[in-house]
Amino acid sequence: MVLVLALGDLHIPHRAPDLPAKFKSMLVPGKIQHIISPGNLCIKEVHDYLKSLCPDLHVTRGEYDEDLRYPESEQLKIGEFKLGICHGHQVIPWGDLDSLAMLQRQLDVDILITGHTHQFKAYKHEGGVIINPGSATGAYSSISYDINPSFVLMDIDGLRVVVYVYELIDGEVKVDKIDFKKPQTAA
Amino acid sequence: MQAPVQDAITVAEEQEKWLADAMALVQHHAFFMHRALDANNLRDALKFSAQMLSELRTSKLSPQKYYELYMRTFDELRKLEIFFKDETKRGRTNADLYELVQHAGNILPRLYLLCTVASVYIKSKEAPAKDILKDLVEMSRGVQHPVRGLFLRSYLSQISRDKLPDIGSEYEGEGGTVMDAVEFVLQNFTEMNKLWVRMQHQGPAREKERREKERRELRDLVGKNLHVLSQLEGVDLDMYKDVVLPRVLEQVVNCKDEIAQYYLMDCIIQVFPDDYHLQTLETLLGACPQLQPTVDVKTVMSQLMERLSNYAASSSEVLPDLLHVEAFAKLSSAVVKVIEAQPDMPLVGAVSLHVALLTFTLRVHVDRLDYVDQVLGACVKKLEGKGKVKDSKATKQIVALLSAPLEKYNDVVTVLRLTNYSKVMEHLDYETNKVMAVVIIQSIMKNNTSISSSEKVDALFELLKELIKDSEGAPSMDEIDEDDFMEEQNLVARLVHMLVNKDHEEMFKILTTARKHFGQGGPKRLKFTLPPLIFAALKLVRCLQGHDAGDEALVSPKKIFQFLHQTVEALSTVPAPELALRLYLQCAEAASDCSLEPVAYEFFTQAFLLYEEEIADSRAQVTAMQLIIGTLQRTYVFGVENRDTLTHKATGYSAKLLKKPDQCRAVYACSHLFWLEEDGGTQDGERVLLCLKRALRIANAAQQMSSVTRGSSGPLTLFVEILNKYLYYFEKGIPQVTSNLIQGLLELIGTELQSENTAQDRAVDAFFASTRRYIQFQKQKGDDLAERYSSIQVVSPP
Amino acid sequence: MNFLLGAFGPSCTISVDFSDADTRKQANIKKENGQSALVPLFHGQESVVGEVRIDPIPGKRVEHQGVKIELLGQIELYFDRGSFYDFTSLVRELDVPGVIHERKTYPFEFSTVEMQYESYNGVNVRLRYVLKVTITRNYATNIVEYKDFWVRNYQPHPEINNSIKMEVGIEDCLHIEFEYSKSKYHLKDVVIGKIYFLLVRIKIKHMELEIRRRESTGSGPNTYNESETLAKYEIMDGAPVRGESIPIRLFLSPYDLTPTYRNINNKFSVKYYLNLVLVDEEDRRYFKQQEITLYRAE
Repeated sequence: MVLVLALGDLHIPHRAPDLPAKFKSMLVPGKIQHIISPGNLCIKEVHDYLKSLCPDLHVTRGEYDEDLRYPESEQLKIGEFKLGICHGHQVIPWGDLDSLAMLQRQLDVDILITGHTHQFKAYKHEGGVIINPGSATGAYSSISYDINPSFVLMDIDGLRVVVYVYELIDGEVKVDKIDFKKPQTAA
Repeated sequence: MQAPVQDAITVAEEQEKWLADAMALVQHHAFFMHRALDANNLRDALKFSAQMLSELRTSKLSPQKYYELYMRTFDELRKLEIFFKDETKRGRTNADLYELVQHAGNILPRLYLLCTVASVYIKSKEAPAKDILKDLVEMSRGVQHPVRGLFLRSYLSQISRDKLPDIGSEYEGEGGTVMDAVEFVLQNFTEMNKLWVRMQHQGPAREKERREKERRELRDLVGKNLHVLSQLEGVDLDMYKDVVLPRVLEQVVNCKDEIAQYYLMDCIIQVFPDDYHLQTLETLLGACPQLQPTVDVKTVMSQLMERLSNYAASSSEVLPDLLHVEAFAKLSSAVVKVIEAQPDMPLVGAVSLHVALLTFTLRVHVDRLDYVDQVLGACVKKLEGKGKVKDSKATKQIVALLSAPLEKYNDVVTVLRLTNYSKVMEHLDYETNKVMAVVIIQSIMKNNTSISSSEKVDALFELLKELIKDSEGAPSMDEIDEDDFMEEQNLVARLVHMLVNKDHEEMFKILTTARKHFGQGGPKRLKFTLPPLIFAALKLVRCLQGHDAGDEALVSPKKIFQFLHQTVEALSTVPAPELALRLYLQCAEAASDCSLEPVAYEFFTQAFLLYEEEIADSRAQVTAMQLIIGTLQRTYVFGVENRDTLTHKATGYSAKLLKKPDQCRAVYACSHLFWLEEDGGTQDGERVLLCLKRALRIANAAQQMSSVTRGSSGPLTLFVEILNKYLYYFEKGIPQVTSNLIQGLLELIGTELQSENTAQDRAVDAFFASTRRYIQFQKQKGDDLAERYSSIQVVSPP
Repeated sequence: MNFLLGAFGPSCTISVDFSDADTRKQANIKKENGQSALVPLFHGQESVVGEVRIDPIPGKRVEHQGVKIELLGQIELYFDRGSFYDFTSLVRELDVPGVIHERKTYPFEFSTVEMQYESYNGVNVRLRYVLKVTITRNYATNIVEYKDFWVRNYQPHPEINNSIKMEVGIEDCLHIEFEYSKSKYHLKDVVIGKIYFLLVRIKIKHMELEIRRRESTGSGPNTYNESETLAKYEIMDGAPVRGESIPIRLFLSPYDLTPTYRNINNKFSVKYYLNLVLVDEEDRRYFKQQEITLYRAE
């Protein structure tokens, strides 16, 4: 059982002062094995904070990120799953699932973590799963209205991944979960 | 040959030796004394006990060592006391014994013996306790040597403790009244204090430190008397107020000794009950300005204030008493008097006093903001004319003064109501002022305080001004540490999100006020401080969307967009073109959502201008194009003309990106500009195909370039990407994107992959494979789409 | 041997006993050899009554020319090869000439003897009272026997007893005011007083009160003074500051004191002084001596 935290589009400090307190109290160092962020943290302090939660931190570049060295996209293997990360402002139309599916095929990954729209999505298609953890701070987006802060925790166990989405609605943290099973790859 | 150097015996070793010698002698004489006691031989008992007590006449021992010797003889004297008691049973009168012991030739043993007899005498009640006690305390004046005198009188205090004619004691009445008891203790105390103070001036100046250390070791002997007074039942509030406190304070003030004054003031405060202090506050405080200038009077007064705060907290009934005696008024006036009385008091002392007073006020009168402000005001007065305080200790105290209300109220808005707060802050040096400003912001962030009016914003930013703009005393930009500066400014940026009010007019006022302050911050600050303002404004726009308030309204989307325009413009002159471009696009999209076509067009124009003139870095250009295309793809507000102009510009710049792959991608991205999903959006299949074909041409060119320059054709990934785009539009049902085109592209890619010239690229292989898999999947779905896919053959490579 | 003793030894023993020996008080007197002895105590104007008993040695006869008893009051000066002066001489004839061959007792009485001076054992002078029994003989030496007795006289408490109060000092160094509550003290009295420091510029180690006795013998150019310190009583330990007042309480009873004797029979005087001594850190001594009058009270 491997826990992977996916969160992005925090937009600190331009659009939000900090992670919601209720999220902060849940995110304790030592519990998570990997952190994946599609980007738009945007400053070093946020990077350092995430690093303190878990040293294995993967961040791709969002268009407001201060650190220009983040890659445009990244691929990594966790357990049986191939994961891909890309912020998504590069994929036009923004938030278009078909276009994102194309990116997923290009990166050749089972799970694509992406952001930019600030809206949580978990979309399964023949090529795999596209997950958008939303905005961890509920930051303003020109694309989406009425955004609740959200992030995603993936529990990868063999060929199965359970995606827990945590959303802060009216001051309360609500959790939902979605199950995905990776088909056994043919030899 | 030199004689061997003699080992130097340290002072400590010397003391040990002398003590050991003295103890041995005490033991020796005590042995003979015991023999005399056993034989009921009074004469010998007196003789040997006097010899034993003569060891206490030594001048060699340090107070610590003398104490050990004293304790040893003390134990022996207890046995002697029992013997004296037995003697009286055998017929000797107490009066006789009392005289007999006075025959001893040396005064110190004589007085120890006298006290010991007196203990039995008083208990027997054959004479009034008060007379005996008075005699003892008088005769003790014969011992003027400080250490010996202190221990002797301490012995007197010890044996008399349970024999004082207190109220309710067996010695009351014939033996005296509590007044006599008080008088006795006070006199003993006064004499002990005089002796203790005298130690300060004995001996050479170079040994002052050692003397002071020794004095501190002895202080509890003196303080014990105050304990005794506090334990007397008969010392009620009136007795304390009329007799005890005035006499003790008189001695404290008149002795003019720093160590004694500090210790005794502290003792008084600790030993007597808090409600006594409350009722004698003026008297007690009145002594403070009269103390020696070197006395740490601020600690004394802080102790007192802390005790009173705890007392107030202990029960709700206490607070009215505090108010009744006007504790606050007395304390503040005492602080002023002490500072006036000690013109040489360093600044740190004066400020610390105010800190102590403030702590008291915050604990006891937390809801009296006027009191808090008064304390700050008093400190301001003291700081007047001093400019920026340079002494680091004093600065620390000023920070403490400023932090206390912050921590107490946890609400910067309350703190903003303290008119003297910013005046105090003025006196902090540049660095500390910034630190304080950071503390204030952190308090706001931690407590989630909303700053909800433009006046409050003004007041707050006044406090934070060293962070927000360059003041006169600030070091130049070269001297400032970059990382620190960024951290500070990011903090200010975060602060912006706390400036909120649900009322739209007020919110706009807040934004314009903040903008005004930030505008004075200089170019380096703007890129930190303006973006959050812009997003706050955009949020406000969203709130107003749909509400048509009319042109006369104080706030409307149009007015906000004017604000936004100026603000983003300011950023572009910093210069921060990339950031400004992004923000222009944000505004454009927002304007589009508000159906304000000219405003949106203006924002796009500015974005394009920035792109043309300011963004030269090729990577930055790629991202900028992505953002322009992405935003434009989403805007529906434009009419045909404007749209055409903008789209033309976009596609034109896309084709002019430096690197061929970037060009290719940007161009096929532009295809989406001609296919808007939502109602009323352009859907021009021709133009879409044109873009895709153009992209293909660029891809081809890239391939050839690669073949020429590197000897092998470049990655075919672009072709696969374009293929995917074809599929995208094919599925959307664009007639111009035929299955033939797709088939052709499929085969082309397949051929190229097998060609010798092509470098192996697993990523491309995988991409192509997954794309083919996708097609297969779609074909198998069995719906309309599958129908259309049926004509496409997917051939797996060998 | 016996033969010799018999020839030259005393032919009888003489003893003198006072009639009220059982009831009469004794005085405990220290002798020159340091030992003390008990001696019958008389007061002036008393009668000295008793009996003389003569016991001849068995077998012996005492031929005599008369038996008498004398009561002598005597001042003995030790220097100058000792000179004796009898200031009182009373005689009683006890027997006419005769022979004593067996015990014979003779009662005697000296009535209302003046005895105005007290017995005194001093350094250079002694005043004694003695009964001397003499058996006068023609052809042999007289047989003499002595019996000492002690005389003490009481005085009434003085009607006027002024205190002694004085200010003394050394310019710029030390100024004190001392006060003794009385100038006249009886032998079991207490010296009460105080020392008040007006100026202290020296480093005082301690302060003590001495009782000194000065015995003067002789007169004029031949006056010989002998001083003795009879008591050293520490009254202060340590260094005072200006304004301190140190109490004095000195009990006289423990000390071997006699009343003040002024010009006893123009032969000697015994005077007493209180000597206040201050010792400084360098062991320098500062003192002030003051005469007090001692008397014997009942």
